[in-house]
Parts: sequence; structure tokens; C-alpha cells
Amino acid sequence: MKLACVVHRFGADIAGGSEGHCRLIAEHLAAQHDVTILTTCAKDHITWRNHYPAGESREGTVRVLRFPVVRERDMRRFMDFSDLIAADRASGEEQEQWFRENGPDAPALLEHLRAHGAGYDRVLFWSYRYFDTWFGLPLVADRAVLVPTAEEDPLIHVDALAPFFARPRAFLFLTPEERALIGDRAPADKPFAIIGSGLDPASASEPVSLDELGLSSPFILYLGRIDPNKGCQTLIRHFLRYAESGRNVQLVMAGPASMPIPNHPLIRPLGFVTDAVRESLLRHARALVMPSPFESLSMVLLEAWNHGLPALVNARCNVLRGQAERANGGLYYGNSVEFSAGLDYLLDHPDAARQLGRQGLEYVDREYRWPIVVGKIEALLRAVR
Amino acid sequence: MGDAKIRVDAVMDEIERDVRARLRRHLIKKGGAADYQDEELFDAVHAVLARAVDGRNLDAMLLPEMADGDVDWRLQTHLSLTTHRPGAVGRFILFAKQKILLPLTRWLFEYSQENFRRQDHLNRILFACIEELAIENSRLRKELQRR
Repeated sequence: MKLACVVHRFGADIAGGSEGHCRLIAEHLAAQHDVTILTTCAKDHITWRNHYPAGESREGTVRVLRFPVVRERDMRRFMDFSDLIAADRASGEEQEQWFRENGPDAPALLEHLRAHGAGYDRVLFWSYRYFDTWFGLPLVADRAVLVPTAEEDPLIHVDALAPFFARPRAFLFLTPEERALIGDRAPADKPFAIIGSGLDPASASEPVSLDELGLSSPFILYLGRIDPNKGCQTLIRHFLRYAESGRNVQLVMAGPASMPIPNHPLIRPLGFVTDAVRESLLRHARALVMPSPFESLSMVLLEAWNHGLPALVNARCNVLRGQAERANGGLYYGNSVEFSAGLDYLLDHPDAARQLGRQGLEYVDREYRWPIVVGKIEALLRAVR
Repeated sequence: MGDAKIRVDAVMDEIERDVRARLRRHLIKKGGAADYQDEELFDAVHAVLARAVDGRNLDAMLLPEMADGDVDWRLQTHLSLTTHRPGAVGRFILFAKQKILLPLTRWLFEYSQENFRRQDHLNRILFACIEELAIENSRLRKELQRR
């Protein structure tokens, strides 16, 4: 089949959830299909400033067509519309405007879909919240497959979504919780598959020692963007309260930071880390902590289980709690006291913690190996013919 | 422990029981409600409040709908600059507000906005608590009437 994958940013150096998901899926589909990525020239997810050259290029096994962004995002204006959405006060027009303000505004990408969309057998769109999907999907609705990457945030409740979710021919969901969230907004007869994401077995090599990193065991690990929206402020608050109990365990935070991190002997921010360091951290941590309140699928959680690492996740995020329960691979917390109790359990019961990690790995083996994931996507693409 | 399967829900039940017991002891020690000496009663209160805090969709509640009368009670976190003056004067005033006044006061607005958001969230949780109690009360009343 000739497939197009539409995504707001694309590149091996882009560390974004839906962008990374699109790239991995596209690369695996390219083994069987002719895959073209339709994306923008943006790299920065805040401004959408043009970074990559417009036009055609080849990245590995896929063809990439990049279209320029004509207007950078005005964050203040965007936040004003976001406030209206959060307060459930946005009119239909303002809801539509939110998607324009969110961007990335790349009219040439829409023009390409209008002119050449019929040339693709299927057009897969990532993330309903971006300009390219919101305005692009209706142009090729008869062949569109939507990967909504929906999260439990205020946007999911806006009225404009019901007619939009009726447009695509099929859905690829990341978790059962995401499917339930979209629920009856998508007509019941739409074909769908719940795919998550694929993983290869973790490498067995020993890349970087803890000494080289200046770390000592025991430590718990946070991996990803260090951002208040990812629940990091709350995580640090819970951890500092936990540290007051006198327990000698470090919180290692590996990822680019967009918020201040307190200077505390038990909190170790590492900034952006290489794959080799990431591998070592996952191998030596006692547990992964996932404080994010909004997720459509936590890749980091799957990655931790891929290394047999147990997790402690935010119970207020249905997706994280659902993943932990389905895998029997981690505990969850709803507040600071539960955070401390969960962490105490994982540190005081090392055998049980290891077993939770093993169960997580079994879950990944059962659900998230590439042949299983690609098989589900192939079946869906065939079903919507 | 060996390789015996561990059920997360069973471990969580144990942890949550332990957390409730710790919380009850802490509140009693700090002079909280004397009724909390009764563990069963404390657990029941905890369950009702937990349903409100964790289990409710804060965007779909009865009380806010009913309170949505003539007075807009909701916190306005969105900044909307307007003027009642028509024509060119109005446009000039709006321009001045947006380009001169707003940049000067933006820091104050953004500082308060975060606190307003927190208060808004807290208000919604309180609504959920009240609604949960009303549901509980109505359920009990219905049960009493049936007997």
C-alpha cells in the first residue's frame, strides 16, 4: 500500500511522544509499504519555528515531505484560548480558533493533501490536537486513520470533537483508556485497534557504570521532560516530604528541564542523557516514577518494564494506573502519603519489587513486541479497504 | 517471594489500608474529629471524600450547573480586554490596553492566574464533595423509605 503519515514534527532528534510514536510506526510499516511522512519544517514544539529545509528528503526507509510553517505560535494568545477551553466557556468559533492557535500552521501541507491525498491508499494522522490533523483529516476523510493520542485534559470535552471524530475511517488507539475516553464520540461502527507501541528487547550490554555518572544505589528514576505539566513539581514535592523521613534514596531526574529543580543532596538532575546512560539508569534504578497527570500511553513506563524495572505511577492518570494494573508491574499513588507508602513498599520488599518488574516485562513480551503491534496495524489497514 | 505472581490490586489494598490507618492516627493526634476514634466510621468518611476527589469527573457536576444563574460565579482566568467606547476612540483605548498597559501588568496577571487556577480547582473539588454527600444522603433516604 501507499501510505502517508501526517505528523506535526518529524526527525530522529525530536523527542516527543506522538512524534516518536509516528516515526517508529512509519519505519516499521516501511518494511512492507511505500511510506511518506507529511510534516512541517518545525523542530521547536513551542514556537514551531522553521528549522528543517522544506521539500523532499529520504530519512532511512521513509520519504519525508516537509512544508513550511507560515506563522509561529503566539503563546499568550494560545494560552488565552486554552483558558477558555479549560473553563468550558469556548464558543464553537473559539474552539476552532484554538486549533489554529495551537498550530503548526502549514497551509502547504493542507494543499498537498487536497491535491495529492487521493494518491495515497491510507493517510494516518497523529494527534487530533494539532493544526495539520484538525484541518487536514477532513480533506482525506475517506482514507484517514486517526491515531488520536488523546489525553484526559479539558480539550477532550469540547463539543467540536464529536463531528471531528466521526470523520476518519478508522482509529488506532494507544490504550483501552484512550478508547474509553473517546468513547461514544466516535461512531460505534468505526474499525479500531488498540496498539500501544512496539519495543525491541533491551540490550544486554553494560554501557556506563554508576560511578562514571557519580551515582550511588539506591535511586529511583524519573525519565523524560522535567516540566510542571508532566507532574514534576508534584513529584519533587512528594519526594522532598519523603526524604524528610530520613530515608537515604536518591531521585535521579534524567531529561531536559523547563522548570527549576531544587538544590537538594538527594535530587540528582542529569539533564539530557545519551541512550547508553539511559540504558544504565534503567538497569540500576530501584523503580521508575511516573508523575504525569495526562498520558495517552507512557512509552517510558513500557521501556522500564522492558528492563524489568517496577514502577510507581500517578493514580490520577487513568492510563498510567490502567497500564500498571494490566501489567501487574507497578504501584500507584494519589497523594503524598501514598507516594511514600508505595516507595517504602518497593524499597523494603526487593523480591516483590523485582517480581513486579518481571511481570511488567512479561506484559511487554505479550503485548508490545513489534511483530504483534505491526500485525494489529496491518489487520486494521486491510479492514478499512 | 520466589516467582509467585504478585497482584497489584492486592498490594495496593494493603498499602491503602496502611495509609488510612496512618492518616487516622495522625489526625487523632493533631486533635481532629473525635468520631475518628471509630476506625470503621473514619474509613466510611474517607471513602465518600475519596469518591469526590478521585472518582468524579469535575467537568460534569450538578451543583455548578444549578449555580449558573444570573451571576457568573466561576473564576475568570481568561484575560479579555474590551472597551465600551465605539469607533476610533474605542480602538485606540483597546490598542493602548493591549500594547502599553498589558505588557506592564502582565507579570502580575500571570502570577495571580496560577493562584486563580488552583482556587478554581479547589472550588470544583468542594462542589464534588458536596454533591457526593448529597448523593449519599439521597441514597440513604431512598433506602429508608423502601424499608
